[in-house]
Amino acid sequence: MSSILQELESQISGLKTTTTKSNVGIVREIGDGVARIEGLSDVMLNELIEFPGGLYGLALNLEEGEVGCILLGDEKGVVEGVEVKTTGRLLSVPVGKGLLGRVVDTLGAPVDGKGPITASAIYPVEKVAPGIIKRKSVSQPVQTGIMAIDAMIPVGRGQRELIIGDRATGKTTIAIDTIINQARINKANEGKAGFRPLYSIYVGIGQKNSNIARSLAVLEAAGALPYTIIVSAPASDTATNQYLAPFSGAAMGEWFMDNGMDALIVYDDLSKHAVAYRQVSLLLKRPSGREAYPGDVFYLHSRLLERSARVDEKNGNGSVTALPIIETQAGDVSAYIPTNVISITDGQIYLETDLFYQGIRPAVSVGLSVSRVGSAAQIKAVKQVAGKIKGDLAQFRELAAFAQFGSDLDAKTKSILDRGARIVELFKQVQYNPLATEIMVTTLWSMQNGFMDDVAVDKIKDFQLKLQDYFSTRKDTILAKIRDKGAIDDDITADLKAALAEFKTSYR
Amino acid sequence: MKLDKEARKLTKGLFQVSLTNGRLDEKKVSAVVKKVITAKPHSFVGILKEYQRLVRLEVAKYHAVIESATPLDKKTGDQLLANLQAKYGKDLTTEFKVSPELLGGLRIKIGSDVFDSSVRERLARLENQLTHA
Repeated sequence: MSSILQELESQISGLKTTTTKSNVGIVREIGDGVARIEGLSDVMLNELIEFPGGLYGLALNLEEGEVGCILLGDEKGVVEGVEVKTTGRLLSVPVGKGLLGRVVDTLGAPVDGKGPITASAIYPVEKVAPGIIKRKSVSQPVQTGIMAIDAMIPVGRGQRELIIGDRATGKTTIAIDTIINQARINKANEGKAGFRPLYSIYVGIGQKNSNIARSLAVLEAAGALPYTIIVSAPASDTATNQYLAPFSGAAMGEWFMDNGMDALIVYDDLSKHAVAYRQVSLLLKRPSGREAYPGDVFYLHSRLLERSARVDEKNGNGSVTALPIIETQAGDVSAYIPTNVISITDGQIYLETDLFYQGIRPAVSVGLSVSRVGSAAQIKAVKQVAGKIKGDLAQFRELAAFAQFGSDLDAKTKSILDRGARIVELFKQVQYNPLATEIMVTTLWSMQNGFMDDVAVDKIKDFQLKLQDYFSTRKDTILAKIRDKGAIDDDITADLKAALAEFKTSYR
Repeated sequence: MKLDKEARKLTKGLFQVSLTNGRLDEKKVSAVVKKVITAKPHSFVGILKEYQRLVRLEVAKYHAVIESATPLDKKTGDQLLANLQAKYGKDLTTEFKVSPELLGGLRIKIGSDVFDSSVRERLARLENQLTHA
């Protein structure tokens, strides 16, 4: 009891310095989540402004004699003529491991009903990205658990890899699969020396509440939630909150980066983010440009994605990997926002509707998908088995178009076609079922070394599943060897050969 | 009424010529208003309204509103005025107001700066500290 009294006394004595100086303004116009304020002569850009009733706003437009301000909440109760004041603070969110397993809104307040959050620190939402000196090149892999991506379009820690495609082509699924795989790897390696867990942050911007709830349920069912933070700014949220949500997510990721940990952020999706920012800008009467987007919509995304980085030992020794998502309209990648984000990121995974309906899922288009930095992060074993696959598949696509016209094919063309058809089959993968790297390596190795050539194409999937089963139940010593060595040497090659010969005698 | 770019520029120019040494000149202001009313340029009502706004903001910069819960005695008032004029210049105009909702203490507003030592403000701060501690 006495400690409470002491605290009260100290609080009260702190109030003895009685006069406070503040800078105030008068609301002249309010509506649509935007207020115009007269006065506020000392206001700074991006400063928090306090409205009566606990509402806060963000000063975005500093004009002559007037300040344009966006509101971080419901404007009900604020009327013309009320007095507002500057706070001298920037918009900040709680960060830290206490947020893992939680669903929060843009301001970091919990929305999952699991009680208050214990934050390790408070980080400003807008922060300048780490500079050149602080950075380190990307060299550690992010295992997505999706064979088509890990083999052909590898992603490294600190990379920005765009997931782009039409509606309903499986963009979110790839992101969720990746998050599930991280949780699986984190769980399997918990407490091992030198292991770097990868924590995930899923930022839902302008999504339907039902979609976010579904993703949440999937993550919960897969046991991935304890390693994941969900930042939710659904379609019913204000445009301001949708505009700020990815920046909040980035701030939460930066805490992991600054404290020697790795984080993965999914921005789902940046098209809706651009639309929210367009709304805010138009309401603030900023001049509009192409497709009515404001002139700084490129900078909006570039400054957000630049915050994904891998920093060196002196500056935190962590990384933030970003998987932004963009939804295209009728496959048009040359629209304004898609081209912007494609040029900012270090590569893209392009998903095609046609492939999706042909049953090739994930519907990754090999020709249009690239990863500009990830191959440096690929582990050796994957490089050994997947090095040529992208080329093989591209050749297959080209020849398949020709082969449609005639039936007379020389032996070489036929072998390329057969190989290609088998790769396509292997890369089909059901959703929410990420594969371990060593399983991928053994599967691709058996394909590359001709063990699948005598299996009919429509039986490939069955063969693959049984082979994976066989390896994980009966030959897990080989899997462990691949996992530990990270490369396929002569010893492992001999083991694999023997194992496959044994498997093929029993397979029917 | 929304002013176009031209009119806004003109208003700004009118405001600039109403200043002498960076301070508002009453004679010039009334001359400008008379001139605008007689010349009747395009959308002159809007121009005058915008001009009025600029003048109002400029006047407020050098006008102190001193609020207190109970009327101040003459001596305190004079002393306050002298202190404020020493800080903000001799031509500071003042206005004394009685606002019982302050509960006690003083609140002085000059332009958009507010010096608040009222009991209401202190209670609000205490509440804030206790709820967000």
